[in-house]
Amino acid sequence: MIERNIVKEAAVIIGLSLITAFIINFISPRGIALVGQWDPSKGVVSARAKNSVVVAEREIHDITEAKAIFDGGTSLFVDARSHEEYLGGHVQGAVSFPVSSYEASIATFIEKNSLSTPLIVYCSGRECDDSHILAALLLEEGYQSVRVMVDGYPLWLSKGFPVEK
Amino acid sequence: MIRHTNSNSRGISVFLELGLRWLIGGVFIYASVTKIGQPALFAKSVYSYGLFPGFLINIISIIVPYLELLSGLFLISGVYPRGAMLVVNTLLVLFILFLSVNFIRGHQFDCGCFNPGENVEKPTLFLLLRDIVYLISGIYVFLFQGKRIFCLMR
Repeated sequence: MIERNIVKEAAVIIGLSLITAFIINFISPRGIALVGQWDPSKGVVSARAKNSVVVAEREIHDITEAKAIFDGGTSLFVDARSHEEYLGGHVQGAVSFPVSSYEASIATFIEKNSLSTPLIVYCSGRECDDSHILAALLLEEGYQSVRVMVDGYPLWLSKGFPVEK
Repeated sequence: MIRHTNSNSRGISVFLELGLRWLIGGVFIYASVTKIGQPALFAKSVYSYGLFPGFLINIISIIVPYLELLSGLFLISGVYPRGAMLVVNTLLVLFILFLSVNFIRGHQFDCGCFNPGENVEKPTLFLLLRDIVYLISGIYVFLFQGKRIFCLMR
């Protein structure tokens, strides 16, 4: 049988932890909302942090809408996954732009694609936020139209839409 | 065979308690630091377990790192060591339970134990065994009846 004093001590520690946790989460610029967006059917999952770059308005939820944009031929598809994943297969005509190599690649990317080029960014699906991170960075650079294809490459592939290796 | 006298055994067990208490305290503080620095990433690790309802994921992600941090600090400073050990052991039992469920059903997830969001993680069986070793050590520290040294407040 656990002594009552030990339970009281544990309760003090738990109480202090709760107070500290909620105060720091409230004041921290990296704090997260009390309830996140964890339903993939509603878009990219996210903890809804204060510094989150996931913006629902940028998301294309219907992959057939993305296909229609692809068929229009005026938008550039940008693959935010790793270069190895890109080489394994990507949306036809897409360019590789892993978020991890943003600093090294952005100058060349701007040189090749004017700021007025409409961009569709994607990664591996609704549990991946690299596309949102890249979209936010590209908008900061001055790109006027950047949208996120939330279902990413896996659904594009399974739908039988044009791909290349 | 080396035979310890009673006082020798007592001495060893006192230092064993201290060593294990500091080890577990240190591990828990270390584990809390990256989670506190990247709460959104840790929340994603919690989500990846596939065990918790959406409305609880952020609450768990906010609270757990501070439970780890404060319990670790209490263990190392020796303030309420048994109370802190009760919290840590309870957390370990829960971690073992969650890992076991995912191990049994073969669910891929990011453990989030030390580096949330990092893809390179140890196999679930290794994580389970590691937590079981911590729990056995934790039970020893919790049940220890001798004099605890380096304790600010027993």
